[in-house]
Amino acid sequence: MTNSANKEQLIACQQCDALYEKPELKQGQSAKCTRCGSTIEERKVNSIERSFHWSLAGIMLLVPAILLPIMGVTLAGQYHHASLLDCIVVLIDRGFFMIATLVFLFAIAVPVVRLFGAFYITYSFKFNKLKPSLLYFFRAFHHLDNWAMLNVFMLGIVVSMYKLLDDTELSVNMGLLAFILWLISSTMASSALDQDYIWQKLEDEFVD
Amino acid sequence: MSLSTNTAKESNLALCPKCHRLNKVTDDANQQNSIRCVRCHGRFYQRKPNSLQYTLAWNTVALIAFIPANLYPIMIIYSLGIGDPSTILSGIGQFVDQGLYPIAAIIFTASIIVPLLKIVGLYLLVYRAYTGVRLRPDKHSKFYHALEFLGPWSMLDVFVVALLVAVVELGFVTSVAAGPAINYFTLTVIFTMIAANSFDPRLLWDKKELKEKNGY
Repeated sequence: MTNSANKEQLIACQQCDALYEKPELKQGQSAKCTRCGSTIEERKVNSIERSFHWSLAGIMLLVPAILLPIMGVTLAGQYHHASLLDCIVVLIDRGFFMIATLVFLFAIAVPVVRLFGAFYITYSFKFNKLKPSLLYFFRAFHHLDNWAMLNVFMLGIVVSMYKLLDDTELSVNMGLLAFILWLISSTMASSALDQDYIWQKLEDEFVD
Repeated sequence: MSLSTNTAKESNLALCPKCHRLNKVTDDANQQNSIRCVRCHGRFYQRKPNSLQYTLAWNTVALIAFIPANLYPIMIIYSLGIGDPSTILSGIGQFVDQGLYPIAAIIFTASIIVPLLKIVGLYLLVYRAYTGVRLRPDKHSKFYHALEFLGPWSMLDVFVVALLVAVVELGFVTSVAAGPAINYFTLTVIFTMIAANSFDPRLLWDKKELKEKNGY
């Protein structure tokens, strides 16, 4: 097998390096590694269409989710509210530059870039505007895989609500709704994206 | 998990970590040299070079940063001009006092259990992958993926403080300031995430295979 191996027909498990013949998968099917049990390859149903529309929804929700106030507090007749962007501005004001930068990166920059990236890729596939530069673009896109933390921020909102509920009057604003919808659409956009299919298609087009 | 399993490395193939394309390893590009992927043109290695050493180093820094993260106050609540500092643990204590047990459990898990579990777990994985003592690659790689998945959730406390600082801003009546621990805690989280990223789970399988081949 070592010498006759035609590498076009083989795939390896990313987790344990076991070698398999490339399975022919239909939409909705996935192949699992028999040695370590992780998914080797997956064909997602209607990936381009679904990812395109979810990322479009995400892009539309992005501005309200970042700028609208998420929640506000009332205490002794005074009212104050804050949006996602306010969190970062206040942290910069107080001199916590590192935290401000990281919250900006994990809760705004990375999710936004990922959303636009997914939109650009699926747009190019949907309207057949494939370019060789997409190979580099999609490769760079993968660098951000681990660093989007919108779901963690959502849990953070819930926890801080409980914290505030105790001794202040808490009011929930439209920003929270926008943020939840933004979270849902960006999660759906990235989970609907079929990476194996996109790489295979790009390879067929541009790599000889 | 048998000897007959063929790995990409044995067949002189290497998997691109970004686009998952198998590349032929030529003689001059052995394990030490980087390989250029034919599909995405990115450079990569057959196994992450010095993976265990990097994991160990990042892990140790994370452990060091975790100490001041727990000693210094993470948040200072000012009401009528009087500051009340609270550390991560005393913040959890306040939730327990108020009877909010589920929230206390969530924060305790995210900010104490998960970072500690990650640090101890990665030390264990590095040790097992290096020595091969009682190595169970199937179990251990599952454990590694759980660690990798849990990593970002430790940022919870940082986000909570960031939100409270921004929302509770009622001048003299009450306001919230972040404490120095938040910097150290964020560093702990980032370092453990980098440590987990530098670990190559395929080393566990390599070690196992090597041991079986040598007839242990």
